[in-house]
Amino acid sequence: MDLSAFAPAFDKQVDTILSWLSDNAGFLFDGARLVLEGLFNGILWLVNLPPFYVVAILAGLAVWRLMGLKFGILAALAMVFCAGMGLWPETMSTLALVIAASVIALAIGLPLGVAAGLMPGLDRALAPALDLIQTMPPYIYLLPSIALLGFGPATALVATVIVAMPPAIRLTSLGIRMTPNEFIELAQALGTGRMQTFFKIRLPFAVPSIMAGVNQSLMMAFGMVVIAGIVGSGGLGETIYGAIRKLDIARSIDASIAIVILTMVLDRLTQSMAAAAQKAEE
Amino acid sequence: MTQKETAEILIDCQSVWKVFGKRSAEAIKAITGRGLGKQEVLKQYGCVVGVSDASLQVRRGEIFCIMGLSGSGKSTLIRLLNRLIEPSLGKVMVKGRDIATMDAVTLRETRARHIGMVFQSVALLPQRNVLENAAFGLEVQGVPRDKRNRAAEASLAKVGLSDWKLRYPRELSGGMQQRVGLARALTSDPEIILMDEPFSALDPLIRRQLQDEFRQLTKELGKSAVFITHDLDEAIRIGDRIAIMKDGVIIQVGTAEEIVMNPADQYVADFVAGISRLHLVKAHSMMIAPGEWQGAPQGLPRCSPEADIDTLIGLITETGSDAVAVEEGGTLVGIVTIRNLLMGVRGEPEARAA
Repeated sequence: MDLSAFAPAFDKQVDTILSWLSDNAGFLFDGARLVLEGLFNGILWLVNLPPFYVVAILAGLAVWRLMGLKFGILAALAMVFCAGMGLWPETMSTLALVIAASVIALAIGLPLGVAAGLMPGLDRALAPALDLIQTMPPYIYLLPSIALLGFGPATALVATVIVAMPPAIRLTSLGIRMTPNEFIELAQALGTGRMQTFFKIRLPFAVPSIMAGVNQSLMMAFGMVVIAGIVGSGGLGETIYGAIRKLDIARSIDASIAIVILTMVLDRLTQSMAAAAQKAEE
Repeated sequence: MTQKETAEILIDCQSVWKVFGKRSAEAIKAITGRGLGKQEVLKQYGCVVGVSDASLQVRRGEIFCIMGLSGSGKSTLIRLLNRLIEPSLGKVMVKGRDIATMDAVTLRETRARHIGMVFQSVALLPQRNVLENAAFGLEVQGVPRDKRNRAAEASLAKVGLSDWKLRYPRELSGGMQQRVGLARALTSDPEIILMDEPFSALDPLIRRQLQDEFRQLTKELGKSAVFITHDLDEAIRIGDRIAIMKDGVIIQVGTAEEIVMNPADQYVADFVAGISRLHLVKAHSMMIAPGEWQGAPQGLPRCSPEADIDTLIGLITETGSDAVAVEEGGTLVGIVTIRNLLMGVRGEPEARAA
């Protein structure tokens, strides 16, 4: 058997499928692209609405409410620092991309996670798919997307959603499955219906785990958004990619610092929300 | 006794089996078809028999204790009574209806209105305060907030926790948490309350206090209860009747006195050996016929057939008499001598022997 012929044949098949898709289902992808870019532009418009110092103050206030004064001031200063480096539009663009991707990832991931938590069969079926998504190098997801959606934020969004979804699904499913047995028994003994058991018992117990999933999704989205700079996502990712190509090390470090700041502010915020949910439970 | 026996039977559990394991269906067939026992079922089918051929009746107004050590199947048995666990074989009738044949809606209704349950783990919802927890049963039944809160407040008052209704479970001690658990069961006003080792995790003093309160409350409200415990003292303190379980089998059912005086086998005998008879054994089970007593009964102190050993010792030590005359409705029915009394203290069934 001639193995050397296999790879070209396989590649040809993939190419055929992709061009068939873009020829015959082009309107679908164009539509998807419009929706994704619409969502991204809407959020971008929203975060660019207030001047940078208002955003910095709002971020500071939110962190202060959840984590105390010291961290609040630190968060506000860090945001001002991003603007000071002349990276404010890029920072907001990245923020918009992360928010858009996380919203889509959670909109798909949370219901799927709940369903998997309630149906062990679905959970078992999803597990290998999620394993596959999480073990593949993340930039793989850029390639099919770019073929179908073209260069730009829509491609970045799709790839980011794929990477950000698994933790939300896994941790939501886990949270739903981990309802202490005695409470399930209590619900049965009280004659509680299925919907009530879900909303009044299973869901409240799952909230801390779900919040951890939200946090993880957000972090994955941040990581992917930088990689997506290659496909013209705009924002800090593209700044870093461009700076690396020109060997402008200083500029790439500036942008990296801005990313770290943005990531840390959002990470702390969602983590302390998860901690608050956990505390309410005890 | 006759009155008790004619009282309405609320739960009638008829030869119920529960077999756990993958091949339980085959195992059940073998049990019904070939009369296989527990050991053979485990060996041939790898199935564990949780409850084996258990029959019991719980009557209206009675507290029925099921006593057994861990692994005796008592927790499985109580869950069969409200079908938290499906019986493999046999029938469980609740208020004359077979719960195995109930559809989901009827079963939910029965659990919500007729059978309350209190758990060893208490299972108070941590996100809700005491009042919301106590009202939870009515909440899931769709009772409006005003009405369910009023009912919950009333039941919290019964367990003495009115001042704590806005606190959260984590702020309460173990004993108080279990009172909330009891209040939650009472809020739905069920006729039957299933108590699954509710006091086992509490310290001894609080436990005794709750035992007494529970018995009093149940009697006052006219409820019936099935009470699971691994503690014979607790069963004796609380129960009108006691069932002793071992390895999934009910070995003996009877009043505390019947079990202490006539243990069905060596296992029960060993169990009751350490139990104080002072308040358990009554004059009627120790006395001898008046004719068997040589002396004249006229001068003896008197007591009723229901007087316990403690009372009789009091009478004897106060009067210096050798015996006590047992009277019922003014007629002499028997004599308890010091010898009978001493044998009664040891719980020997031959206490009646002259």
